[in-house]
Amino acid sequence: MRGPAAPTSPGPWDSHSEALLKTPALTTEAPQPTSSPNLAAWPVTWRATDPATRPATPTATATARAEGGADAAATAGRRGTADPVKALMHRHRDLCERAVDPLEIAAGLEAHGVTDRTAARFRHRDVFSLADELYARVPRGDRAPARPSGEEGPRAGWAGWTLSALAPGAVAALAVAGLALTEGPVRLAVGAAGVLGLALALAVAVRRGPLRAAGRTVPAAHVWTLWLLAYAVGGDGLLAETMTGGPDEPWDITPMPLLGLALAVAPAAWCAHLFASRARRRLAASRGLDDFAAGTRPLLLATAALHLAALAGLLSLTGFTPGALALGGLLLLARLLTVHGSPDTAAAGLAAACAAEALALAAVLAARLPGCDLLAVPVHALVDNWGTGAVPTLACGAAAVGLLAHATAALSRASAHAAP
Amino acid sequence: MRIGLLTEGGYPYATGESIWCDRLVRGLTAHEFELYALSLSARQEEGGRVDLPRHVRRVRTAPLWAPEDDGRTYGRRERRHFAGHFRELVTGMCAEGGGGETADLFGEGLYGLAELARERGGLHAALRSELAVRTLESACRAPGARRGAAAATVPDYLTFVDRLERALRPLSLDWYGEDGLAAVDLCHAASGGSAALPGLLAKRFFGTPLLVTEYGVQLRAHYLAATEAPDSDPVRALLAAFHGRLAGEIYRQAALLTPGNTHARRWQERCGADRAKLRTVYPGMESERFTEVGEDEESGDPATLVWVGRVEPAKDLIALLHAFAEIRKAQPEVRLRVIAAPVREPGAEAYLAHCRALAAQLFPDEAPGAHAVGENPVTFEEIGGPEAPTLAEAYASGAVVVLSSVVEGFPITLVEAMFCARATVSTDVGAVVEVIGGTGLVVPPRNPRALADACLALLRDPERRYRLGAAARARALELFTVEQNLAAFRGIYLELLSHSPVRRPAAEGVPFARPAEAYVPGSWADRPVTAGAGDADA
Repeated sequence: MRGPAAPTSPGPWDSHSEALLKTPALTTEAPQPTSSPNLAAWPVTWRATDPATRPATPTATATARAEGGADAAATAGRRGTADPVKALMHRHRDLCERAVDPLEIAAGLEAHGVTDRTAARFRHRDVFSLADELYARVPRGDRAPARPSGEEGPRAGWAGWTLSALAPGAVAALAVAGLALTEGPVRLAVGAAGVLGLALALAVAVRRGPLRAAGRTVPAAHVWTLWLLAYAVGGDGLLAETMTGGPDEPWDITPMPLLGLALAVAPAAWCAHLFASRARRRLAASRGLDDFAAGTRPLLLATAALHLAALAGLLSLTGFTPGALALGGLLLLARLLTVHGSPDTAAAGLAAACAAEALALAAVLAARLPGCDLLAVPVHALVDNWGTGAVPTLACGAAAVGLLAHATAALSRASAHAAP
Repeated sequence: MRIGLLTEGGYPYATGESIWCDRLVRGLTAHEFELYALSLSARQEEGGRVDLPRHVRRVRTAPLWAPEDDGRTYGRRERRHFAGHFRELVTGMCAEGGGGETADLFGEGLYGLAELARERGGLHAALRSELAVRTLESACRAPGARRGAAAATVPDYLTFVDRLERALRPLSLDWYGEDGLAAVDLCHAASGGSAALPGLLAKRFFGTPLLVTEYGVQLRAHYLAATEAPDSDPVRALLAAFHGRLAGEIYRQAALLTPGNTHARRWQERCGADRAKLRTVYPGMESERFTEVGEDEESGDPATLVWVGRVEPAKDLIALLHAFAEIRKAQPEVRLRVIAAPVREPGAEAYLAHCRALAAQLFPDEAPGAHAVGENPVTFEEIGGPEAPTLAEAYASGAVVVLSSVVEGFPITLVEAMFCARATVSTDVGAVVEVIGGTGLVVPPRNPRALADACLALLRDPERRYRLGAAARARALELFTVEQNLAAFRGIYLELLSHSPVRRPAAEGVPFARPAEAYVPGSWADRPVTAGAGDADA
């Protein structure tokens, strides 16, 4: 086998080789071109004996490097150093400054070909003791702490998740419009299609963007959510019918709160995103865990308030009910807790609200049994004073307050915001 | 006896690099083997496994790369236990200095966590919980904490806790049962670090002796890898502290350590290994394929230098080419063959091209006469090419084999050249001096003139070449063969097993399956019987 083909003229080959030789990656191993200029400049810049006056900043050495030049003085300077360890320290400056303990310097030096016999030239028994000296002597503390950047993960592709967060609202609006325009069996079909479409859109919305739970989830939470939404649509009518001895005929369905809630998925996603990104930024800036917790608590409250305001605005467009507002708040908090690693608590909160609503219905029914009149008294008192809407408001509101109390503790923990 | 071989990212997987484990398992057929392998990536698992011999009774694998959340969370009492053990672990880790007390604290914490994980599971969630982060914070801020740790901030805590959870995954494995490491008589860890962690726990839980073989020191590998990683300084400090303490604990608990060379041995001593426990066992290499070259006074072209290896900057071919230029000034008829093993890394091609360009520049093509086609005195070839069909023939083609590296671990090419009875000139790096041991010439690295002088001295003196080559071959056959490696491990296994009783219950219904002494309560012998120490007339 042969080397490269013979050159036809010396010109291009020479320049090519020159270029190759000047490539930094290739010449780092060759001792002459890289180390000599630095060494040459030492007697000039590093003469200071007091460590405090030593030109420790990189700029000083950079200028020294520039002044050094690869001239004849290089070889003279190489031999004239009184302190050879200093020369070594200068050559492996990055390694020494970055090292967190002497063994790291020892490992790095060995990777650069320093052996015990090399260490003997520096009057050391082995590489380890040489590394000990280097670690002790290298100036430290003037290095800005390098933070790994590039954590804005969820921001990438935000258009995608915004679209998917808008989808439930759009589907619900279409369905409601369809319901308003149609009659009879067609209306039924439109309603069924709307429910299916909404469920699909919701499933997509919580699988992308800031509402996505990367860790563990509790499957039962889906059932609780469905029940709560179903109650928001037809629960009040059912309760009214039950209290008057029914239900004997189809009761009132109120899809408008559901439309408001579906529209509010997009603001909820934005609130969750806001909370997560703010918390992450605060995480990077805070020094202690208490510091972080103190800053995150108001952030959570502000996020919840912002979402409630947005939801109230949307509900006032479609038909405001306090029950829907409380439900919206509950769902957002439950989702936030699920996303940030407390799915069990979130599911428990949802289940409690469900249980309260079911209990109200069951109590009214149970009161029909002989001798059980007392069971329905609280529900009757509630409904008589504030209407049927008071039941879901109270159930969801209480659950939401409970979850909020838990979330102010759980979501202000740093571990809740760790990357999964 | 039943040997539990603990590996990490190596042996049973086809993509892993630990041919010595395969040779060990195939060589020691008198023992049963059980493999406990930690895999490093999904790709490795997909890569399949090598064929295993029949006496490998069981293979258990666990992924280190996949999160293993068993969904369990702790109650109040378990949380208190966890917090206590974790505090011990991180306090022992963060404390400055490596005294016995801090090392004990680290060990106690580690075993406490292991016991908790064995009984209750749930370590994944607990290690990533706020409790762990808070404990870590207080340990880092305690007076006397090491310098790097004290500067840590909240993201550093989170990153470190995440890494720690990853490193401690072997604690949550289901290997520590009656059908696992409890039934093993000896644990042999193929490397330090995570692979030895199950061995540590087996020693703690069942008293199984632990043997650790390190051809490359895991702690050193961690440092070299950490230099490349984009972690912040406090995280690196904490990780270094953890791995340092873990290595110290492994070295303390291991019954024997077998470093692969003096370099590894020095690192182990530095990390607190007891000298009495260290036995250097050189890696074994197949010598059969080089036997046909043999010792021969006439073998090899007397005017050819051979370099064999992977072409990469650490091999410093530039210095070799400069040295060759010096050699040709004195002896113009000398030729250099650079025989490269194929390299798949992306940057390697550029370096090879650079070397070719430099060779073309330094040495113009030469022709024997005015009408012949010229040829460069430096040829770059690949193994498997027409001029060098096998590795043995590549070595055999030259009179002198040169090694010009500036960085080297265990120089395999040098050992191969020794098997081929070649005179060698090598640079004084890594384990070269230890391997060559006076049967070849050694020059300082990055010194082309010294390299050239040494080569010239050998080229001019055929008798010295022959003498050195014969001595090198004899040395290599004594120290670096597979057989010596197997013999060493066979002896070590027997020695360790003679110290520890076999706890396996004997088969039912076999008379005298257990000796009568086994039923005597307490210790009845003065001292444990060691192999080779028995009295002849006792």
